[in-house]
Amino acid sequence: MSDLAASAENLGKNIGNRTILRDISVQVRPGDVIGVIGKNGAGKTTLLETLLGLSPRSSGRSSVLGEDSLHLSAAVKQRIGFVPQQEELLPALTGRRQLALTGSFYRQWDQQLVDRLATEWEVPLDRRAQSLSGGEKQKLSTLFALGNRPDLLVLDEPVASLDPVARRRFLQQVLEIAADNTRAVIFSTHIVSDLERVANRIWILKDGQVIRDGDTDTIKESVTRLHIRSRNALPADLAIPGCLSMRRSADGLGLTAAVRDFSQSDTDALASRLDANIEREGLGLEDIFLELHA
Amino acid sequence: MFILDPHTSVPIYQQLVDQVRRLVASGHLAPGDELPSVRDLAQEHTIHPMTISRAYGLLEADGTLERRRGKPMTVAPLRRNQTSVAARLKQIEPQMDALALSARQLELQETDVIGLLKKKLGAK
Repeated sequence: MSDLAASAENLGKNIGNRTILRDISVQVRPGDVIGVIGKNGAGKTTLLETLLGLSPRSSGRSSVLGEDSLHLSAAVKQRIGFVPQQEELLPALTGRRQLALTGSFYRQWDQQLVDRLATEWEVPLDRRAQSLSGGEKQKLSTLFALGNRPDLLVLDEPVASLDPVARRRFLQQVLEIAADNTRAVIFSTHIVSDLERVANRIWILKDGQVIRDGDTDTIKESVTRLHIRSRNALPADLAIPGCLSMRRSADGLGLTAAVRDFSQSDTDALASRLDANIEREGLGLEDIFLELHA
Repeated sequence: MFILDPHTSVPIYQQLVDQVRRLVASGHLAPGDELPSVRDLAQEHTIHPMTISRAYGLLEADGTLERRRGKPMTVAPLRRNQTSVAARLKQIEPQMDALALSARQLELQETDVIGLLKKKLGAK
């Protein structure tokens, strides 16, 4: 389909004999805000860079705005915005000079938007990049990616050094892009709480594989914690289908387990099998992330 | 108008659905009242517009809200009799379960609990 903002099919990447990405198939539709979460070293940065064609793939396919990532036309490149984790500013130039320089490469450059955001985000444009704080540098490099009003905006750990006020403003800008329903955003982060708000879809990356790809609410509803309490000792070899982690109480009568895709009727059946009382607890995204890495 | 907390286990769309239903049930939202647009609500709460749309869609499907072309979502006219007693009972069952559990934990007598409940129901 050519109206996808980006896609990967069985995408893989090895460096030497180390596998960095394994068999990743994902799609990004216009209007999507995709949140990519994973531990350090899970492959988040490599996935974003390989998807965009900034880094070569070893197998499979990836495309951006209908074109193969490794052979993007100049026209498509004009429609992409990318903010790398490590900002690539020119230290001796002021923000204003660098923005003017960058803007001159784009046919469509929205200087008004850039000026407005620079004021809102309190980016000091008249100071040299080398004298800016970490957060200011990050905000400045985000302005570079927003100025061409990209149809696909990709941000690698965009909020790490932003304070809460700046983060909220940044997220509002991300949503503004998605609200058009014609443009899409992908961002990786390990600040899970931001994703619960703005991402409509989440990819959970673990050891180079996307182990979960679904809309945020469905992922939230898919993992439940069971608090089991029985009058009798629970069987030592108790197996619960879909169990992610299990913790037994010292007296052998109680058990707490995180389970996935476990319905109310599954719960009732388990309760009567064990002659136990079971309470279900819903989990936030952060807890789910931790359970999936247990 | 709404309190949407992304960090609890209840999905945001579900929180919105529950709150609209409650406001309608309690009469704080009356038939014909307009709801904020998807875009406004998304901006106000910094929440993806699809999440709001999903909630509105569910509320439209169950007859709580009404969508008219080019107009904001409005609260639908009451149609109490169209939903069966069984269906409405099902809606209240989670609260009943919670009540039953608390009553057992407090070791209350069945007749006492039912007596109090009757009083509450009659009080209006």
